[in-house]
Amino acid sequence: MAEAAGPRGARWLWPLLAVPGIVWLGLLFIAPMYVVLAILFGGVDPILRQPVPVWNPVDWDVAQFRYVWDHVVGAQPFFRPALVRTVVYVGLASATCLLIAYPVAYFTARFAGRWKGPLLFALIAPFWISYMMRMLAWVNLLQTDGLVNRTLSAGGVFDVHENWLGGRPSTVVLGLVYGYVPYMILPLFAGLDRIPVATLEAARDLGASRWETFRRITWRLSRPAVVVSLLVTSLPMLGDYFTNDLLSGSPDTSMIGNLINNSVLTPGQTGQAGAFVLLILLVSIVPMLLYVRSTRAGTDVQS
Amino acid sequence: MSGEPARRAPFTGRSAVARRSLLRAAVAGLAAPGLATLLESCGGGSTGSPSARETIPAPDNPVRWPTSQANPMIKSGLTPERGSTLRVYNYADYLSPRFLRDFEDKYGLDVRLSTFNDADEALTKIASKDLAFDVYFPSYDSLGRLVAADLLRPLNHDYLTNAGNLWPRLRDPWYDRGARYTIPYTIYSTGIGWRTDMVPTDVAAMSNPYDVLWDTHYAGNMAILDDWHTAMAMVLLRNGIFDINTTDPKDIALVRDQLLQMRRTMKPRVTISMYTEMPAGQYGLCQMWSGDAINLPYYLPNKVSTDVLRFWFPEDGRGEVDNDLAVVLAQGKNPVAAHVFLNELLDDKVAGTNFAFTGYQPPLLKFTPDSLVADGLVPQNLATAVVREKDFDTGIPLLQLPAAADAAYHQVWQEFKAGG
Repeated sequence: MAEAAGPRGARWLWPLLAVPGIVWLGLLFIAPMYVVLAILFGGVDPILRQPVPVWNPVDWDVAQFRYVWDHVVGAQPFFRPALVRTVVYVGLASATCLLIAYPVAYFTARFAGRWKGPLLFALIAPFWISYMMRMLAWVNLLQTDGLVNRTLSAGGVFDVHENWLGGRPSTVVLGLVYGYVPYMILPLFAGLDRIPVATLEAARDLGASRWETFRRITWRLSRPAVVVSLLVTSLPMLGDYFTNDLLSGSPDTSMIGNLINNSVLTPGQTGQAGAFVLLILLVSIVPMLLYVRSTRAGTDVQS
Repeated sequence: MSGEPARRAPFTGRSAVARRSLLRAAVAGLAAPGLATLLESCGGGSTGSPSARETIPAPDNPVRWPTSQANPMIKSGLTPERGSTLRVYNYADYLSPRFLRDFEDKYGLDVRLSTFNDADEALTKIASKDLAFDVYFPSYDSLGRLVAADLLRPLNHDYLTNAGNLWPRLRDPWYDRGARYTIPYTIYSTGIGWRTDMVPTDVAAMSNPYDVLWDTHYAGNMAILDDWHTAMAMVLLRNGIFDINTTDPKDIALVRDQLLQMRRTMKPRVTISMYTEMPAGQYGLCQMWSGDAINLPYYLPNKVSTDVLRFWFPEDGRGEVDNDLAVVLAQGKNPVAAHVFLNELLDDKVAGTNFAFTGYQPPLLKFTPDSLVADGLVPQNLATAVVREKDFDTGIPLLQLPAAADAAYHQVWQEFKAGG
């Protein structure tokens, strides 16, 4: 009896363990996504012009989605530059984050020794301060009479009046990098810390140089962590509007997050925000598939 | 305070004359470039055009709203509900905290202030009716929607004993004849603010001061209000078009061209936080509400003299002049306390307290331009930001627009803000 109960119990146990995850997914992803769709394809209250969700897909109206789509690819594509800008800014910011985060994570994982704990603590510290406060701090630093310009003027030797907050793409990218780089360091550290030292020593013993060891062992084994960290940072960057609002506020640097925010705040346009959300979802599926492929490749190698 | 009026709701619908003129223009093929697209969002965008029967107030079309049947007026002679919680729904920093504390002490009740960022967010929450707000602060552009949705409680004037303090012209306003639902709260004009230490041009002396917002010397050093109608009206005024509620497609196309030109050449910041950002030196020139201008000195660093601050409003008074309101919501549980609260807002002393905190001027007889400057509430160099009663004779209000024009304006603004 006891022997028979074991497999039967296991058969129920594993699906049971998946239940919390499925409930979580259902409540916090599927249901909200359906609400977004019901609003996107729904109607508008004629008096208050608030969105009226339509729950039955049979009655869905595609007008709002078509409106957005037409202004992305149609004759008057005034949404397109913001989408292109988003890809460029997020790409640049993610790459810069990686350039900063990889060496930091590498050092912490391999060479920090007994300082590993305090160093990790210091890396996590920015999370304790609200994102808004950190961005507002940059506003103060970057004002025309702020600390950055005062430092560059070297105590008045040079006449520096750089207008960092005057709608510069570079300032927005800087803000994104600063805001999201801690999110990249942690998964990179976790990935690099798991690489067995013995593997690296074996490579050196077999005659590989430091560079060769890094290129052929460390980098390859850390690639899944790099992909994860890029996803963890770039996906929230795609929907970010706050950094842009605070550090630029200029339409010339509008990103898709700003388009969503503007649509939500405009009566009758809330459904369009849903269309932009769908676009982000479609765009982010590509890196997600890359990630799945990369983790599958990693599993295959291990097995 | 604060650029709060900025966050007022976009408009829908306007006068039948305006609606006809738009249709005529469209039929006559006057369509300026992109008109078809400009108007498409009202047809295909499922924006839910308001009913053609929608009532739209204007100075030349005053409106007396019907008395709500579902929400009866309260009886006279009642006392505020002691021990209750009065729920006030307002923009942030648009009421003095000191006044709220005094009110609680005086009437033995709690005031719970909830804030919103924009009128649309406010309307969404009010429409749910679950939050039981007692007092709300709309602008007249959303009044029609509030009445149509039957969200307001008619005012019993027996409780409004301070109404005599108001400017006579606002005791029976065009947007609410008989003041059935509203009391005026603040008044403001829209002009141009600048810092003389960052902008050497004497804006007020220019033949057309609006041109300074297109002067590339100040590219990246200026801002305009993040309020679609206020910003677009400024473009119309720049071009001598004083019908800032125009529905003419040619005018809207002109606004579009000049706004996009401004975006390309000036890199404007689009915001409603001028009252903090300009004193902080983020830029030296901006489109600005008068109430924010009056608030500027309080945000200026100590090392900078308030003498550098300037505000321009057309000397002939032909600029944007508006007022905000306070109403009693039908969903509230404390209608008597809400009436008393509105009455307190019209008290000279309370209004002074609120004005000192918000910078937005109450339309009360006691507060004259001379007295505000003499009492030190407004520095001499910002006296132009004080709204005079006669400004309402020449000033131009921002009105609701017909649905089609509203959609056309919104699309231009959307294009401008998308940076496309």
